[in-house]
Amino acid sequence: MLDRALTEVAASGKTTAVDTAEIKHMLDRHKAKIKISLRACVHCSLCAESCFLYTSHHRDPRYMPAYKFIHSTGLLYKKKGKVDRACLEKIRDIVWQDCVLCTRCYCICGIDIPGLISLARSICRSQGVYPDFTVSGER
Amino acid sequence: MLYNLAQGPLVWVAFILFVAGSVYQVTRLLALTRKTEAHRWGRTPDAGPLSGTRPADGLSGRWTARLRLSIAGTQPLTIGVTVIFHTLLFLVPLFLLAHNILVDEAWGFSLFAVREKLSDYLTWLFLACALFFLLRRMLLARVRALSSFQDYYILFLAAAPFASGFLAYHQIFDYRMVITLHMLLGELMLVSIPFTRIAHMFLFFVLRFLVAHEYSLGSGRRVWR
Repeated sequence: MLDRALTEVAASGKTTAVDTAEIKHMLDRHKAKIKISLRACVHCSLCAESCFLYTSHHRDPRYMPAYKFIHSTGLLYKKKGKVDRACLEKIRDIVWQDCVLCTRCYCICGIDIPGLISLARSICRSQGVYPDFTVSGER
Repeated sequence: MLYNLAQGPLVWVAFILFVAGSVYQVTRLLALTRKTEAHRWGRTPDAGPLSGTRPADGLSGRWTARLRLSIAGTQPLTIGVTVIFHTLLFLVPLFLLAHNILVDEAWGFSLFAVREKLSDYLTWLFLACALFFLLRRMLLARVRALSSFQDYYILFLAAAPFASGFLAYHQIFDYRMVITLHMLLGELMLVSIPFTRIAHMFLFFVLRFLVAHEYSLGSGRRVWR
């Protein structure tokens, strides 16, 4: 049920065009933090057990906190914000469906993973890409 | 020719790049953060994420519980190996007899050196730890999902000077070739520290001790600009 609700994208004011300049601007405001975090992550996977979604999804690596921040904010940063809607929709599924922002993730190197996932959510939301929890037609 | 280059100018180039690069990275990091007055994540000693203990547990009981609830509790083998790996990475080269003889010949002073046999055993232990990390990266799906070429490269950079030093000490293969390779690999590692993920060597301390967040160690009071 939840999965289905999450994958149905909200119909919003913004439709297909993605404002890459706006995404770039948002990334630039947090450039230092993103860059240092990506550099400091040694890909050790020790953050895995701190995520209850990881442990409750048969230890699926896609639920590891590091995997989620690398494939959301990390991906946006590497692509310098030049992404299409399909890419944003994939990121949306990671940052909303695979993460509930409980902020319990623990990084041994001190990376603020919730902060970076939260940023990816803001970027997706700025482009009208976010999950719709309302039943269609009940707005 | 390459031998003379590796034992002379390249040592200086490597050390200068290592020190300058590290200073640059840390000062840049400090410039990107600013100090705040209030502790954003201020907490009393017994509060916080590892506070699943009760006063009745006693001091040692509390520490045992904290350890059990930490990564050391969930991944004891990896944490054990990583502590040994990182400790030896620093201590073995620093207190190696051959290195200290070179330093003494050059500058007239040196650190104390441990027995060569002990260094030899510790090198074996270090290489075993490196092998553990390699196998972990190759075989565990969770680590493989995050791994990139650079992860293997930095593990190689850490282990290769030890492996070549071991070969040189035991005079396996052509000594002059192996020792030249050993010096070049050591220099490559030093140069790479500030510019690759090995930078976690100092980023760890900055992010864990200086930047304020929930899991700060000490009194981190800096926030991102």
